[in-house]
Amino acid sequence: MSDEHRGPELVRDDALTATLRAIYEKPTGEAYWAALEGRIMARIDESEAWWSVSDRWLRAGLAAAAAALLLAGAMYFRAQAHINRTLAAEAIVEVEGLESALAQREPISQDEATLRKLTGHQ
Amino acid sequence: MTSAARGDAVIGASPAPRNARWRVTERPANERELVLAAQRGQRAAFSALVRMHERRAYAVARSIVANHEDAEDAVQDGFLHAYRALDRFLPDQAFGAWLHRIVANAALDITRRRKVRDADELPETVASPFRDPAEGSELRSRLTAALDALPPRQRSVIVLHDVEGFKHSEIGKILGIPEGTARSDLHYARTHLRSLLGDMRSEQ
Repeated sequence: MSDEHRGPELVRDDALTATLRAIYEKPTGEAYWAALEGRIMARIDESEAWWSVSDRWLRAGLAAAAAALLLAGAMYFRAQAHINRTLAAEAIVEVEGLESALAQREPISQDEATLRKLTGHQ
Repeated sequence: MTSAARGDAVIGASPAPRNARWRVTERPANERELVLAAQRGQRAAFSALVRMHERRAYAVARSIVANHEDAEDAVQDGFLHAYRALDRFLPDQAFGAWLHRIVANAALDITRRRKVRDADELPETVASPFRDPAEGSELRSRLTAALDALPPRQRSVIVLHDVEGFKHSEIGKILGIPEGTARSDLHYARTHLRSLLGDMRSEQ
């Protein structure tokens, strides 16, 4: 069933339709449509060129960002390793210093040691 | 008519150079093959699709926008959007219906932008370079004014139906409205315009 027969309200008016078609008449002539097709394809080409340029920049940017990230990571781990080594060296120095200080103390007698223990003086 | 518009472009199985022209042969190419070729990046296949669909796309755009120039812009925008979204299109769908929806959205975008732009400007009358000899007739000028006064969706529906011959279901898909709404819009638009014509006839 066509649209025109589904209800009494959808009655076509030929004069109205003819005038509407005149108002909304499409451009005629192959040259016009060929030119429009050319403009559409030109816009697509421009868009592709832009996208390819932006794509190249995007790839370059991503590569640069990745390189920077790797560099920053390497520098961080290097700095961390340096800090760890320094702390370890300082710890060794402290232990060695303590041992040497203890070694430099004069030996005390058994009695003095007992007295120091009782009085709480080391 | 060009070879592609006749549907006799050749689609190769292997990707052709992007700027290759389709050869005219006896083997007809269907739309699905053109779409698949375009999805493989063959520029000439998309160009053939443009050739096949630009007239209907223009009609869809023209039913929504106010003038010929905006319709051209909407068609170009629509095809550009379609080209970018081609990867997401399923080749078993109707390419025309998909494209018309995109063109309609592009036309609606232009209409919205124009409304904003024209808010601070005087109304302009853009003359189409493709007017017919009856341009100056009173009927035509009054009908044009009446069309401008119609709600945009009703105007689009009556143009798509009465001028371009789209069915209600197709109009619904193009404009993103239910089929019943398209039918009632057509009814109101026709009633309004017919009453105008009736007034004019009774004056004569």
